[in-house]
Amino acid sequence: MRDVYAGLGFIIAGVVTIITAQQFPTLPSLQYGPSLFPSLIGGGFCIGGAVLAFSALWQRKKVFAHDVQGTPETAKPESEKLNLALILPPLAIVFYILASDYIGALLSMIIIMLVLMLVRKTKPYIAVTTSIIVSWAIYFIFSRYLLIPLPQGSLLGGSLPWIS
Amino acid sequence: MDILMNGFGLVLNIDTILVILAAALFGIFVGAVPGLTATMAVALLVPLTFYMDTIPAIAAIVTTSAMAIFAGDIPGTYLNIPGTPASAAYVGESHALAKKGRAREVLGINLVCSVFGGIFGTVVLIVVAQSLAEVALKFSAFEYFWLAVLGLSCSIFISVGSRTKAFLSLLFGILLSTVGLDMMSGAPRFTFGVPDLMAGINFIPVMIGMFALNELMNYYGSRSEKKNLNIIDNDSVFKNVPRHVKRYWRNMLRGSSIGTMIGALPGAGADIAAWIAYGVGKGRSKESAKYGTGHIEGIVDASSANNSGLSGAWVPALVFGIPGDSITAIVIGVLYMKGMNPGPTIFMDGTGMIYALFIVFILANLMMLPIGYIAIRLSKFFILTPSRILMPIILCFCIVGAFAINNSIVDIWLMLIVGLVAYVLAVNDFPMAPAILGLVLGKVVENNFMSAMLRTGGDLTSFFARPISAGLGIAVIILWCSPLLLKAYRYQQRKSGSAC
Repeated sequence: MRDVYAGLGFIIAGVVTIITAQQFPTLPSLQYGPSLFPSLIGGGFCIGGAVLAFSALWQRKKVFAHDVQGTPETAKPESEKLNLALILPPLAIVFYILASDYIGALLSMIIIMLVLMLVRKTKPYIAVTTSIIVSWAIYFIFSRYLLIPLPQGSLLGGSLPWIS
Repeated sequence: MDILMNGFGLVLNIDTILVILAAALFGIFVGAVPGLTATMAVALLVPLTFYMDTIPAIAAIVTTSAMAIFAGDIPGTYLNIPGTPASAAYVGESHALAKKGRAREVLGINLVCSVFGGIFGTVVLIVVAQSLAEVALKFSAFEYFWLAVLGLSCSIFISVGSRTKAFLSLLFGILLSTVGLDMMSGAPRFTFGVPDLMAGINFIPVMIGMFALNELMNYYGSRSEKKNLNIIDNDSVFKNVPRHVKRYWRNMLRGSSIGTMIGALPGAGADIAAWIAYGVGKGRSKESAKYGTGHIEGIVDASSANNSGLSGAWVPALVFGIPGDSITAIVIGVLYMKGMNPGPTIFMDGTGMIYALFIVFILANLMMLPIGYIAIRLSKFFILTPSRILMPIILCFCIVGAFAINNSIVDIWLMLIVGLVAYVLAVNDFPMAPAILGLVLGKVVENNFMSAMLRTGGDLTSFFARPISAGLGIAVIILWCSPLLLKAYRYQQRKSGSAC
């Protein structure tokens, strides 16, 4: 069934792409404008999505017919069930984007590492030590050695003597 | 001769050697930790290469990928978990032998085959690339258009699994390549008023999102972290290698040839090369019944193929600017960032750059012997590194790495969004390699199409007016029709079979 939803998702994406592409300006001197490729891609999404959805439905119909003849449906094993912890990395990234300007990149990284390590049951003293040392090393390499202006954070006023 | 000496000068300096050494250690580490792929290693490395000269930057990528592909055999042998997808084909053989107390012997033959395969692929690259480049000099927008379309088509037909999914994944990559100002009209496309998107999507955050964030989400989405190591490994690394090489040298040659050819096809990387070499090796073996029970022959073909596939992928990348796999797709991006245009002119610039690249390839593969040996001796340290500590560190590297390219938060958002889309696609069995090729080649296809149309006043038949262009066009059409032709052929065979 997931392929059916994926197919429908691509059809919607295709329609949105085509509609958006039609709004791109065209120049009279050009036979093929900036909307050509996006429109072709949108069309490809619609066709590919439809093929995917229909073939998934066809497969499902065949499997269903097979099940009716007596094959019991097996339950999903525990390891295949969705674990909500998978949203932790995206959440951590959103946290960094929102928090780093205020508390600084260094503190943001320490918090992210610490939380993610503790979630996976790392011993607290190892998690704390590793987070602080590694975050500081990353911060040092990028800001001091590669001269990347990582946010220092308005909370600390960019005044930490050992990271300036 | 002066150009060759220039090439040596570019490589044999302390900075480049140190970079190669560091990259080798990094590659070994990433490859040996299950769940981290060679492509992910390269994607994480790219933000750092941004701050290096061209040759050290390329050297770092070449060395990291070669080492990671070999090191992927280490957890495969000890834990039955391939460190990288390229080791998956023969992981059963390796682990079965390890359970018999021959873990180091297996890794020894893996190492020698990897070095042989890598150098074989490099020699092919050196021999073939130069002459192909002379042909490529005659290419214009028409030929490059077809070549890029051929590359994109190959990525669909060669990918493992559903072709419809590969096609949609490819379109997703091409759609990303259309973001930014249009080349001809200057009109902004899909920029949503964000100034940072006007110059187009920066492909490094996309790479990090697709390969690193995707893996991180996979890791946190899985419930267990079991690493049971109950293998005795007191055997010697190299003691039995000469005997195996003497017995299976034909397999090494065959695996390396298959690997180089498969690697050179756009969209097919080291993993597909290894699977095909393993299949061919099994089919032609006199002892095929032993396959799957722990048979060295099964390892030799595929282990040579995956490393030669890496080198083979560089042939189209350097000669035509068409990447052979995800790693060379990243490298092409790096070359553009460094102001180098991959293509035939790279062979004629007279600065020795191309010789430096060849030397880097050979050096990286030769260095695999001592560093690989040390890695085999320290195997247990690598594979028992707890992922629960490693993964949060990688996530922070991803965030800072994505930000570092343009010092822009938009790139972090981009990494996040692409990573989420890639995760959804990957869990639904959409392959990622076509998307990367689409992102890199999408612009090549569109720009060459537009400039060809501008030149000919919109005459589409001009794509078949030049002999090479027409040949490539026909090759593309045959490739597209091949599933139908194959079906018709099989139907015909079945019909004639039932008639008999």
